[in-house]
Amino acid sequence: MKNKEKPVNANLPKKKKKLNKEGSAALFMLIPCVLFLVVCSIYPIVWTFQWIPYNYDGTRSFYIGWGNIETLFKDKAFWGSVGVTLEYAFWKIVLVIPFSLLITILLQQKLRLSNFFRGVYFMPTIIASAISGMIFTFIFATKNGILNAALIAIGLVPQESPIKWLMSADWVMVAVMTLSVWGGFGNYMLYFTAGMAAIDTEMYEAAKIDGANGVQIFFRITIPMLSPTLKIVLQLALLSAFRDYEAIMILSQGGPQNRSMTMFLYNYYMIFGNSEAGTSAQVGYGAVCSIMAAIIVGAVTAIYLVASRKLDDVV
Amino acid sequence: MDGGRPVYSLKTKIIRVFLWLFLFLVAALTAFPVIYIIFGSFKKNTELLVGGTNIFPKEWIVENYVKAWESANFAVYTRNSVVFSLGVMVGSIINGSLAGFVFSRSKLKFAKIVFYTILAFMFISVGSVTLKPVFALAVALKMNKSILYLILISVGGGQATYIFLCKGFCDSLPRELDEAAKIDGCSFFKTYVKVIFPLMKPVIGTVALMSFRGGWNSYLLPLVFTMSNKNLRPLTVGVNMLKSAGDGAAAWDIMFAGSVIAIVPMVLVYIAFNKYFVGGMTAGAVKG
Repeated sequence: MKNKEKPVNANLPKKKKKLNKEGSAALFMLIPCVLFLVVCSIYPIVWTFQWIPYNYDGTRSFYIGWGNIETLFKDKAFWGSVGVTLEYAFWKIVLVIPFSLLITILLQQKLRLSNFFRGVYFMPTIIASAISGMIFTFIFATKNGILNAALIAIGLVPQESPIKWLMSADWVMVAVMTLSVWGGFGNYMLYFTAGMAAIDTEMYEAAKIDGANGVQIFFRITIPMLSPTLKIVLQLALLSAFRDYEAIMILSQGGPQNRSMTMFLYNYYMIFGNSEAGTSAQVGYGAVCSIMAAIIVGAVTAIYLVASRKLDDVV
Repeated sequence: MDGGRPVYSLKTKIIRVFLWLFLFLVAALTAFPVIYIIFGSFKKNTELLVGGTNIFPKEWIVENYVKAWESANFAVYTRNSVVFSLGVMVGSIINGSLAGFVFSRSKLKFAKIVFYTILAFMFISVGSVTLKPVFALAVALKMNKSILYLILISVGGGQATYIFLCKGFCDSLPRELDEAAKIDGCSFFKTYVKVIFPLMKPVIGTVALMSFRGGWNSYLLPLVFTMSNKNLRPLTVGVNMLKSAGDGAAAWDIMFAGSVIAIVPMVLVYIAFNKYFVGGMTAGAVKG
């Protein structure tokens, strides 16, 4: 017995020491990641909360207590921007998801140049949204834009009154949505392609032998088998719809009359000021708006997750 | 798969022709803005300001590029873009693979806490407000004129995705490899350097491309940091600054040329690594 116990006892401290060595190596290797987490994620959140009760224009600050929160609930421009964001997200999902699914299915038919088409469709997603926003500003320009020139040339629009794509509240969302669909559908096409590749081809063959036609195959096999992918893609599209304000910022600066002002864009102008509109920064109020925006995004995501789970039980 | 083309009935053939035409039309519309800007960049400014339906220039000139490169500071912007995006790429690879390896292999409680904190912060999006404190910190550290700080902040801001990709890949590597390395006398860190890192090549390729694209295309972060520092601006910011330079309408020629300078390198990278890119992206999507 004694002989057996000794090596165990002798081993124990040694083993523990080894684990410690490994542990300290792991700790050491985590230093960059932890530093990044603290500086880029935790510190900004703490900082944001700190300015809630202040009126702060970037240089001077005054304590105003609940003032910013009261302003938020009376601020029609902010709640208007929430409405625009939801409208944008709705149209983005309604337009982009079915379209990219259609493209994915058409590309599966092994037509000539399919791979080339896939490459072209994905190309807009590798272009900076700041640059594509700029290109579309040229295209949608009222007087010398090529879109109006083309519409006039084929007689759809009278020469004396070209469409003010970016300057009229009626049309600006059309321009914004065009850019959004153009820049986004290639991405979702890729996700769908990956999801489709995971579907067993034997299923299609079995369905064909049983006499199913293309429409039946699509609704009875493709859609149900694709539903896990569809759920992730919808969630990604929803989140990105809230976040892509960079291109809108360049295309229309949120105007005219805040018609294309999304929530995050509004917050950006609050925090950094809008030199073109001549408004200065209101950091404290912008912080309150940003927290409200985060809550709204969180709530919408939560609603979506609950709804998609409920849908799972039904289908 | 090389069994030749299947035989179709006449009806199917006609349908397929229409499908193909539809796909071709979509491709033409998708490529149009890029084609338009590339040909437009060879037009004279007067032609651009008049507009019209011409895609090809009436008179081909390269002066726009010369002007952009020499007098509009684009040589500096291009250098900044290259340095910045390469820096972000290298930083993301090192940080992502290191952290991914540790989160996949370490039994440390602290590692788990950090991992779940990163996960939690992925769902909190307060938007651009984060740029303000990060900039204030840079001023306090007297690093607001350093491209290195910009690179580090960019790496940190995007680290979650890359860490998850790397961790997912590490999880799929057999643990026997680590044990074999251990028996051969490798420490934890050495196992990462000599055994795991070389095996992570596919996922590192994906991280490299995604982070390079992220760096090359980022706009708001460099915009905020270079408001008062023209010589640090990357291409995305440089091009857009021309717009608000007062005589914006007059500088269309330089803006066209500048946009092309900003797009073309990325498109070339994409064409060169197309297969890798698409493959990596979908792998990440299926797993995530």
